[in-house]
Amino acid sequence: MIIHATRRAHLAGTALAVILAGVPALAQDSFLDVGEQEPITILINSSPWYGGFESVVALYEEQTGNLVELDATPYNGVLEKARNAVRTAESPYDILNIDSGWTIEFYESDVLRPLGEIVEGYTLPEEVYTCGDSYFWNEEKQYRTSEGGTLMAVPPNCNVHVLVYRTDLVETPPATYDDLLAQCQAIQSPPEVYGFATRGERGNGIHYDFMPFLLSYGGRIVADPASGDYTVTINSPEALTALERFIEVEHGCAPANVGAMGQGDVIQLMAAGNAAMVETVVAAWANYVDPTKSAVVDTVAAAPMPEGPGGRGVAIGNWHFAVPRNIPDERAQAAMAFMQWFLTEGAQTAYAEAGGIPVRRDVIETLGQQPGYEWMAAYQTNLEAGVHPLGFSEGAAVEQVMGLRLNQALVGELSPAAALNSAAREIQEIFAQSGRQTGSLDPLPE
Amino acid sequence: MSFPSEISSGAAPAAVPPRRHRREPSGDRWFRWATLLPAVIVLVVLTVWPVANLLRMAVSTIEFTRDGASFAFTPAENLRRLAGDDLFFINLRTTVIFVVVSVILEMVLGFLLALMVSGVPRGKGLVRTLMILPILVPPVAIGSMWKLVYNHDFGILNQALGVVGLGPVGWLSNPDLALWSVVLVDVWHWTPFVFLILFAGIEGLPREVIEAARVDGATTWQIVRRIVLPLMAPAIAVAFIFRAILAFKVFDQIFLLTSGGPGTATEVVSLRLYRVFFDQNELGYGALLSVVIILAVVAFLLTAGALARRVGR
Repeated sequence: MIIHATRRAHLAGTALAVILAGVPALAQDSFLDVGEQEPITILINSSPWYGGFESVVALYEEQTGNLVELDATPYNGVLEKARNAVRTAESPYDILNIDSGWTIEFYESDVLRPLGEIVEGYTLPEEVYTCGDSYFWNEEKQYRTSEGGTLMAVPPNCNVHVLVYRTDLVETPPATYDDLLAQCQAIQSPPEVYGFATRGERGNGIHYDFMPFLLSYGGRIVADPASGDYTVTINSPEALTALERFIEVEHGCAPANVGAMGQGDVIQLMAAGNAAMVETVVAAWANYVDPTKSAVVDTVAAAPMPEGPGGRGVAIGNWHFAVPRNIPDERAQAAMAFMQWFLTEGAQTAYAEAGGIPVRRDVIETLGQQPGYEWMAAYQTNLEAGVHPLGFSEGAAVEQVMGLRLNQALVGELSPAAALNSAAREIQEIFAQSGRQTGSLDPLPE
Repeated sequence: MSFPSEISSGAAPAAVPPRRHRREPSGDRWFRWATLLPAVIVLVVLTVWPVANLLRMAVSTIEFTRDGASFAFTPAENLRRLAGDDLFFINLRTTVIFVVVSVILEMVLGFLLALMVSGVPRGKGLVRTLMILPILVPPVAIGSMWKLVYNHDFGILNQALGVVGLGPVGWLSNPDLALWSVVLVDVWHWTPFVFLILFAGIEGLPREVIEAARVDGATTWQIVRRIVLPLMAPAIAVAFIFRAILAFKVFDQIFLLTSGGPGTATEVVSLRLYRVFFDQNELGYGALLSVVIILAVVAFLLTAGALARRVGR
């Protein structure tokens, strides 16, 4: 459905404008004057942070008089709309919002316009997080990196996990996964309260939510893709320990149906007051503090992810604003004008105040000091530890493999060792097909 | 082996008058071809071209660039991949189990319901209308509705079990149960369709044959076994073929209920196809899987037809 920012969003935008005008530091000066621009259309996912984005779009229209249409689409439909847009003669969208796992398909096929081509020499403002470098594409290495990479997109958010917990049930948030297990088991009292939960459903859900465990136990899917070493290491002893701990926590503290639990289920569990701790993306935060949706508004808090023997492991799963090649230059200029405005300090502050997840360090640090924004400290800690485990072009296929094999281990179809061995074999096959320099470790004893 | 009497007796066949070839005016011939042309064009555009394109895709690796789609001819690579794709064969097995169990249940229940309703003296129309309501519900609503019914924490099934001190049961999260849970939804959804076809068939049966059998002392079972079932064979075959084809293509309700999980418990071939085509963007290999699925459906229907003929004999 293509919509202009709704009346409610316009009211919110006006209210934001009034509030911001009253704060000297955040008045009009901290926004960018983009002048008169062509109307633009943005393909965007209707995710938990959409409300905040809609409000900030209303503020943009209010300030600049330029029109922005939003095609808010459920997650499952965004990819096909984006693909169809770049495969037609002229894209109906001026900005495509693309999920992290899909970007490489678009980068590789050269259907996006590098941002430095639209605005000569454009670079991200230094205050903006580069979110694991997923906005850059190194054509030669076929890898997302700022080293030798071209800037292809800007961040509408940098989604990372945070540990969300109830202050009435958890005195001190767990610092390690051993603490997490001990605390969640102590609290576990089903069906009234579950100690801990995170997504276990097959696919992106379990893959992404297992990553903090894997990374913090020192496990990796691939040895060193940035340097071209695609040796598969997912069946390492470290990865096995991480998976066993993940399963132990999920079986010991989550609902019995954890193997089928998706993001909505986990959020609901916490918002309904039936969980003491959950691991969710920071973008879900608005659901916990909205009194119309949450029973834990006054007792919910966020903490950095626990650490393991390998330190703190956080996987980034962010979105990307990109400009398709198949639009006229004046529309590309208008798209860039909006994106540059959106990344200003003023717009990012307005975005955060409307429930969005800001991507500027200065905004996070300033707001994080204020009451009601304490969660931003946990977000920042995790963001700075965040990495992209699938920064290569085979990422989508590897995620499919991981999503299946991890789920099979969780529901008991395969032992953890067999699941990791199967995953390693299949991932190696994927890399071999692409002509990568690959190999694998010796299989784990099953 | 016997032969027709004229040939085995060596008698000369009756003289056939020589066929006179009348030269058709060329205008008539052109007109005949011209009138056929629209049908030929429709057939080519809607059937031949898509099938040919599917076959071309199935032996290719397809990539999209800013210049459009590029096809590389890689039949051996695609076939080698298929041969090593254990997951696809697991999906195929799951699909066959799903089709066999759900279609058999739907046929049996649909037939029994049709028999029962045909015996209702009044209000058959109302009963028929009520019976077909599940077919009218949109698949997305069915998925959402049953997801709530099966919900682990507050679903009606687990609430009911809780009242008698049982459960909760992981209807969709237990790998041993999940497939049967989606079969149940399919049976609920599609039994009315089978009922509708078979009920129409039963209503069209010659009453005098059944009444004559009854007068001769046949029991109800004998009437059903010896008269109703043989006379209903064409309707049963139509219902079976429709349902088997649709069950092979099942996607929406499983996608909404389990997305193929937990593990591979409910991943049918359509879901795999979706993942290969849309998640992995591998159009060539996806097309090859589509061809295999079409062949599997044809093989299934031929096998079922042969079995039915053997049982009939």
